[in-house]
Amino acid sequence: MVDALDIAALDAVLADTPFAGKLRHFPTIPSTNFLAMQDAESGAAHGSVYLADEQTAGRGRGDHDWHSEAGSGIYLSVLLRPAVAPADVLWLSLAAGLAVHSAIQQVTTLEPDLRWPNDLLFGTRKFCGILTELNAEVTRVRHVVIGIGINVHQGAFRGELRDSATSLRMESGRDWPRQEIVAALLQSLHRETIALTSSVTAAKAAAEIPERVETISSWIRGKRVVVDEAESFSGVTEGLDPRGFLLVRTSDGLRTVLSGGVREAKSNSFR
Amino acid sequence: MNPEDLKELKELIEFLKDNQIGEFDLDRGDLKVRIKFAHESTSAADLAGLSRMLNATPANSLVLQPVVSPAPSTTAAAPATAEAVAAPVDENACLHIVKSPIVGTFYESPSTGMQAFVKEGDQVENGQVLCIVEAMKLMNEIESDAAGEIVKRLVATGQPVEYGQPLFALRLR
Repeated sequence: MVDALDIAALDAVLADTPFAGKLRHFPTIPSTNFLAMQDAESGAAHGSVYLADEQTAGRGRGDHDWHSEAGSGIYLSVLLRPAVAPADVLWLSLAAGLAVHSAIQQVTTLEPDLRWPNDLLFGTRKFCGILTELNAEVTRVRHVVIGIGINVHQGAFRGELRDSATSLRMESGRDWPRQEIVAALLQSLHRETIALTSSVTAAKAAAEIPERVETISSWIRGKRVVVDEAESFSGVTEGLDPRGFLLVRTSDGLRTVLSGGVREAKSNSFR
Repeated sequence: MNPEDLKELKELIEFLKDNQIGEFDLDRGDLKVRIKFAHESTSAADLAGLSRMLNATPANSLVLQPVVSPAPSTTAAAPATAEAVAAPVDENACLHIVKSPIVGTFYESPSTGMQAFVKEGDQVENGQVLCIVEAMKLMNEIESDAAGEIVKRLVATGQPVEYGQPLFALRLR
């Protein structure tokens, strides 16, 4: 289906945000994150947004590609230059997941699940992935790029994605305009970013994130998971620590997950 | 320091002990904390032995005392791990340490199977990417903040690193 994005209309809706007038739209592009990081090096402004109808080399964590079919989804990257310490940028990674959750809920009334740190799912199938890239000195953030991919119009997935991916259409039986989702998403992302970066609200906003994540996620407590870190381990989730890291109770004690992929443990493949 | 901060500091010290982290620096605007642990089992004799084993600095030049001071100390760093100790950090004041700006997992290459960004002996430029530290699906490409030769990589791929942990030792040009 044709579901065009109207950039001028988005600019108008986003007038109160740093994104207005800084949206660039590409019919096809290798990777919105790659371009955003490249542009950032050459001085692109805080609030620059890169939107694509199709990515030919979409990036995910580690070796994972992100499947980006033409016009079927939302593929966008947001460039921010927040005045926060590098350690505090991690909150943006969690907040990005909360922002997508809120936008999807607002536009579709669907209730997605959140898999730590920021995958969005319906049941066991993922429809949104987020990859954040940071360029920082020890004490100062130069720039951060938040890349978000959302499956919107796909009717089915083939191959290895068949059982692991879904779209808003597959979940709701109808098509949702990308325009509305992009507008709602950039607005919610703006709210999260402002709260986490203005000195008056930052500490409180950050402190509230673990609980907000736990409220909307079935993965944070009591979920039997396998964690793929350097060596994979399994256990039962036991909440987030005050820095937002996932705690997993294993047979060797409580472990803190810094970066590993978390997936549901099959009852018969408990390792 | 208010009771809240004091409690956090105590928790931090417990955390560092639990994870056997030898040294920790925090610098957040007006709050500067530097913590360095003596290894409890390390007697003077052990230190001498360690020193001989490493064929490096004399024992009395290794600063291994608990230090909690409100300002950054200028004493030579006492490296946290055996591997770090092996780097001649204390021997040569010209060595420059690149530290991690975030907590996360250290990766020496862009993805598994790919070539490492840099290896020991490489000449690097200021701003050149040395490694990735990842946490919560946030990929942080760590750039060199100086030009010089990579003398030592202090962390292995897949290893967790703490905020401020030394990652590379560089001999400045």
